[in-house]
Amino acid sequence: METTFIKEELLFRQLETAFENVVLEIARKEAVLVYAPKELVAPILLYAKEKLGYKSFSHLSCVDWIENDEFELVYILWSPETKINLFVKTRIERENPIMENTDTIWRQINTYQREIREMFGVEFPGFIGEKEFILEDWEEIPPMRRDFDTLDYVSETFDERPGREDKQDVRERIANRSGEEIPDFAKKYSRE
Amino acid sequence: MYNDNNAQTIVEYIKNFTRKNSLFMLAYGTGCGAIELPATLTSRYDAERLGVRGAATPRQADLLLITGYLSTKTLKRVIRVYEQMQDPKYVIGFGSCTINGGMYWDSYNTIKMLDKYIPVDVYINGCMPRPESVIAGFKELQRLISEGKADGATKYKENLDWYRENQKKVLKNWPLVEYNW
Repeated sequence: METTFIKEELLFRQLETAFENVVLEIARKEAVLVYAPKELVAPILLYAKEKLGYKSFSHLSCVDWIENDEFELVYILWSPETKINLFVKTRIERENPIMENTDTIWRQINTYQREIREMFGVEFPGFIGEKEFILEDWEEIPPMRRDFDTLDYVSETFDERPGREDKQDVRERIANRSGEEIPDFAKKYSRE
Repeated sequence: MYNDNNAQTIVEYIKNFTRKNSLFMLAYGTGCGAIELPATLTSRYDAERLGVRGAATPRQADLLLITGYLSTKTLKRVIRVYEQMQDPKYVIGFGSCTINGGMYWDSYNTIKMLDKYIPVDVYINGCMPRPESVIAGFKELQRLISEGKADGATKYKENLDWYRENQKKVLKNWPLVEYNW
């Protein structure tokens, strides 16, 4: 049976007529993506809540695109009536990342913003929340950023019990044994 | 004739005998290993036949189980709990995370060697240890107690400076008062 995107198309048209400067995409069945500049995120969230029946806010997450010097914030909404996930994605610059506070639209965004402020260092001016969320007394750069070297930090903070020095990268040995080749993109994660 | 040494041994023997047969375990779970304890304590494996049962507060407990990985944030609480427990007190490190970091060996937020921060009497390896191994660990601890070798609390008091130094290296803003034992 051919999959049809009738309700997704409808949502697509509604968003298309309501907002300029956004890129829309039907990713798959019951998933619509919106790429928006950061000033348009709050209007889109509000429009989705008030006009499109998006009652539920599922998640706010952050992706570190270190190659492009950008953070990507992903707001995921869920409508129980149409059963479509709406992903609102926006990119902000990595140096001095500032994003608009949106916890007045959904209260639960507050918690996610606290997490992202702690783990990625993204600032949300004007929102009220305790500075510490999961970590305590953290003095390094935010730990979920990709330029934070976990292994370096571990080796200078914690001691390793003797007996684990012989841990080796066995992937090459296993690949040779089964006659496979390690793809190039995986080689850069080698421990050597 | 009155033999003082011998009398001391008998008293010690009775003390250790009673201690090893009534281990009250603090109901405090860190990490994922705490899920093995309900199975250990309930009817199938029934650890209470060894005298092991739960205790509600640190002051009533003899035994502290560190069940699985220990984040630095929890370490602060564990030290506090351990110092509130009354002598005699024993610690069991549970799972490979407490021994050498386990699968969290490169995690920025979990400690790798538990015995650098609090004295550990028995380690149970495994990821996770099944109730059989937990009971084997309890039996091993009972053997150590009956031989008078489970003296973690004394070790902690004698080497407090060394333990404090290690603890403060991980916990940046030290929250506890300096005790004077």
